[in-house]
Amino acid sequence: MEREERIWLGVLVVVFLLVNAITLSPLVPWQRWILWDRPTPQAQFRIEFEDYEIRLPPEGIQVKAGEFVEFIATSKDVTYGFGVFREDGKMLFQMQVVPGYENRIVWRFDEPGTYDIRSTEYSGPRHPEMFVADAIQVLP
Amino acid sequence: MKQIGWIEKWTLRFAVVALIFLAMTGFEGILMRTQMAAPEALTGFERTLNAVRIIDHEPTQAELFYAMMTAHPIVGIYGFAYMAVMGAFYFLVPYLLKKEVRHKKLVPVNFWLQTGGVLLCWLSGFFGLFNSLYTLYWPLPVSFDRVPLIGTIPFTVGAAVIMVNILLFSFNIFSTVLSKSNPQSYTVWQFLRAAFGISRLMKWLGKEDKNAPNLDYNGLPVFIVAVARGSIDTVINAVVLLTAGALILVYGIAALLGHPLNPMAVDALVYKNWFWWGLDMVADGNVLIYTAGVWYLLIPLLTGRKLFGESVVRTVIMVDLLVSMGVWSHHLLSDQVQPFWMRLLSGQIITWGEFFTMGLTVFASLITVWKARPVKFTPPLIFVLGSIFGFIIGGAAGLTQANLGLNVILHNTQWVIMTHAHTMLLTGLSSLLFAVIYALVPMLTGKEIRSRALTLAHFWFWMVGSVLMTYVMGMAGSQGMLRRMLYPQPNPYQTYLNVAWVGGILMAVGFLAFLVNIIATLGWEAVLSLVVERKRPAEATA
Repeated sequence: MEREERIWLGVLVVVFLLVNAITLSPLVPWQRWILWDRPTPQAQFRIEFEDYEIRLPPEGIQVKAGEFVEFIATSKDVTYGFGVFREDGKMLFQMQVVPGYENRIVWRFDEPGTYDIRSTEYSGPRHPEMFVADAIQVLP
Repeated sequence: MKQIGWIEKWTLRFAVVALIFLAMTGFEGILMRTQMAAPEALTGFERTLNAVRIIDHEPTQAELFYAMMTAHPIVGIYGFAYMAVMGAFYFLVPYLLKKEVRHKKLVPVNFWLQTGGVLLCWLSGFFGLFNSLYTLYWPLPVSFDRVPLIGTIPFTVGAAVIMVNILLFSFNIFSTVLSKSNPQSYTVWQFLRAAFGISRLMKWLGKEDKNAPNLDYNGLPVFIVAVARGSIDTVINAVVLLTAGALILVYGIAALLGHPLNPMAVDALVYKNWFWWGLDMVADGNVLIYTAGVWYLLIPLLTGRKLFGESVVRTVIMVDLLVSMGVWSHHLLSDQVQPFWMRLLSGQIITWGEFFTMGLTVFASLITVWKARPVKFTPPLIFVLGSIFGFIIGGAAGLTQANLGLNVILHNTQWVIMTHAHTMLLTGLSSLLFAVIYALVPMLTGKEIRSRALTLAHFWFWMVGSVLMTYVMGMAGSQGMLRRMLYPQPNPYQTYLNVAWVGGILMAVGFLAFLVNIIATLGWEAVLSLVVERKRPAEATA
């Protein structure tokens, strides 16, 4: 290996270590609870997907800002996506909903407000209809 | 124009059909982009086409949109890219080895099977409204209340034809390479030992494996090593997709016979792992290895300087092959049911292996150009540099999303498909294939590319158009815009869509400049003679 290549390889190693260390660290807010702290959720919400429908718990989804909550999504037919969006359309988080499994994700909402749920995975031509406005209420 | 030979003619035929498929997939892209911006814009056009569609109801705009979205990558990847690669390799591999293609009869077979398979898949979407998308997530392709059975069966048959054809092509390439590298004939096991570096390891341990073909030091040209190692990924991809297609076909035939099978009998997560492992052999396997090989071939050829660090790049190609076997979980980072260690290791850490392999590949390529200064910026060299730029920015976008933390907010957004995938495909891979065509046309025909102004127009319109389109959609993705999503009106991302549409049109203008230039170089008669054999004077008078 020539000198220039050794230097360049060193640069690549440094970039690799830096980017991975930063993005796996608690500097990425949700990595704190997904990767490091693994807190026990204070509430659980079951969401069912079937036949292009997103079924929320009958009592709705109300959470307190700063609380850890767990969403458990299941599908009875095909793969869907469980995505939570802010009112301005920006995605807060999402996960795939694989049929035959309990798909779980823990989240902490920092800002009070209402959030929408949209399926983030294509499930057939009626996929765009899979949207529930104001599905989650986050209280102060 | 000089009298061109048999294999040269087939290479040009592959190139012509590849460009037709590129035009088709580009047209589909513009139609989808138009439909996303204005869902009713194509209603009249579609109403006319519905008259020839073999379905029992008036299709919705969404059905038409997703059927086109399913056909689009098949035409782009297996029509445009694979046809171009087949044509180029059928010329370059024998040319570099100074030996003829081992099984010449397979060349036209490959041409017709690939063309036929791609067209059958396209027709299944166009007429049969097969809309499962290329991901084919189980059990969507066998959910016949969502995906028409009438489209599923011909699509899987078309896909099977393509995959079998790719296996035939790979067999022919392997036969040609291995028959040259040593007078002995190698077994598959001996070749695989060499390809995965086992023979090199044995040499390092003092036990030289003299029976294996030499892929790591001296011996074969670097380009041939890349073709040989990349083709392992090509074969795995074809075999895996063939098994997935066969499974779907079994379910389809059972449903057709009135005995539907239970889709839940197949585990959706296991299927998804198997499918992505195989599919990724293209996206993160042969595309990168073949690309590296072409850079290693063209750059020394165009600059007149020996490739920098040749022994290192041979190792890099081997590492690329090993890495490609273990990165598929970056497509399952949002599958919380995928074991965590697989998402972390395969999805993020091993995927970063590509940062090293492509990082070293780009470095070796660019430093070769740098050390060769002053260089003449010929059409192929301009496009080679453009393709390096495309792979750098598209690769960086890919590493951003192949990350446990960032994937939470990027998965299935426009960032993934546009800023990463389409930058790789349009700015990177397509530019590289244009470079190959610009390099091969003079080699095959003895004619120089006619117009430098048109070449530059092609380059700038294509580069600006593709970067504009992909990056503006990436910005929309960062604002929450999903891929595979036909938003109802008013579309909250309308401004981004409008700008991206302009980017698409700029690319189309660049492509037209390229076509005009190539036809002006070859002449209409020569282009047509690739399709219709010219009769010799004696035959004509008879």
